[in-house]
Amino acid sequence: MPRGLIHSESDDVCVVTTDVQKGEEVLCAYLEKPASHVMLKSLDDIPLGHKIALRDIKAGEKVLKYGRVIGIATKDVMKGQHVHVHNLRSLRWGRR
Amino acid sequence: MMTIKGYVRENGSVGVRNHVLVLPIDDLSNSAAVGVAKLVRGTTAIPHPYGRLQFGRDLDLLFHILSGTGANPNVAGVVVIGIEDNWANKVADGIARTGKPVEVFPIEGYGDLKTIERASRKAKEMVQEASEKQRTEVDISSIVMSVKCGESDTTSGLASNPSVGVVVDKMVDLGAVAMFGETSELTGAEDIVAEKMVTPELREKFLKIYKEYVDVIEREGVDLLGSQPTQGNIKGGLSTIEEKALGNIQKLGHRKVNCVLDYLDPLRREKGGTLCFVNTSSAAAEAVTLFAAKGSVVHLFTTGQGNIVGHPIIPVIKITGNPKTAKFMSEHIDVDVSDLLDLKISLEEAGERVFNYMLRVLNGRLTAAEVLQHDEFSPIKLYISA
Repeated sequence: MPRGLIHSESDDVCVVTTDVQKGEEVLCAYLEKPASHVMLKSLDDIPLGHKIALRDIKAGEKVLKYGRVIGIATKDVMKGQHVHVHNLRSLRWGRR
Repeated sequence: MMTIKGYVRENGSVGVRNHVLVLPIDDLSNSAAVGVAKLVRGTTAIPHPYGRLQFGRDLDLLFHILSGTGANPNVAGVVVIGIEDNWANKVADGIARTGKPVEVFPIEGYGDLKTIERASRKAKEMVQEASEKQRTEVDISSIVMSVKCGESDTTSGLASNPSVGVVVDKMVDLGAVAMFGETSELTGAEDIVAEKMVTPELREKFLKIYKEYVDVIEREGVDLLGSQPTQGNIKGGLSTIEEKALGNIQKLGHRKVNCVLDYLDPLRREKGGTLCFVNTSSAAAEAVTLFAAKGSVVHLFTTGQGNIVGHPIIPVIKITGNPKTAKFMSEHIDVDVSDLLDLKISLEEAGERVFNYMLRVLNGRLTAAEVLQHDEFSPIKLYISA
């Protein structure tokens, strides 16, 4: 059973569908073709519904979900880390 | 042909509830309206804080919402109460055009107690008349529905919203009307919505409405960080407005949008199904209130973290894809589609689950919000009064 789902093939993040503990292995399935999936190790505790990075993302890089830009990384993010408001911000509003 | 059992009103529109409404025109008339509803079983009062010294477009919008709520096919008859009869008559005229019974009771010259007595006598008659109205078999194409999400999280975009999108596609294909809105919450996906417009004119109208909204925010010298996403959204894993909007639009389904309504525009049916953008705020009760005033008789409301909104005259069906919300707030949830997260069911199956539940509600089953008396009636106010 997958513990995470990926909206689109080009996405940089997977949404975890159970609470995930640091160090656990997470199987993320692609929504469009559930047979294909990625396995990755979580570097953080990540609550249900939050995002885990599928690749290393550099500060300043755009982050994709639904195959679309959902914001920009404000810090370097490692594959397996929690992606949220502490390292991702909107390009539309919010100038933190 | 697919049918449901509804109440066919005098003007041919179809309702799925049979309310007798006690409608206060202004804040001062709330006490009398609530007084009537306490005395007469089967009436529903909808108190609200507005209706004095409003002017211009803001006043027009209040009239539009009050008249539209009374005119809604879920309502059998309306008792209107206002401090003075001028504005009350205006609203009542708008309701009377549907052919349903409506009567105005001004408070000035009578006082609350006499008004309550006079209005109650009329309300009693209306309830008894309404109680004899029967549900009859009607084509589902006569249904006007609306959709909105609230306290969204990432499960909204993964599960509950796309499930509702399946239902929207199906209803539009069946010839019904589906409305969506939430102007501010389209930010980051407004181009996708614009692309769904069936003509360049509609696209232009939509983008103009969207831009007006952005202008309001900029004029205030603020941005919506702190409001959009909300604290609840962030707790649920949504990080940015773009992410929220991309989840939001999953519930629009895949049909073209062939109708764009600004605040004061009345609903018009298009041949072969109507998918309508309505300019609304994204606040749950305000949006549902406006949809109902435009003629929606049933609302599909998706929630991630657990929004509990309802409406006094239209059933609001609560759908969640979040297994924790389904478990810990179960009394508010009508349909649980969290099985989608484990891929235990397909999106089509989840959509079918929502659709079948909606059919039961259209045929009379009460929603969680109706039983728990979530009767939020929240007219949108555009600016300060005179």
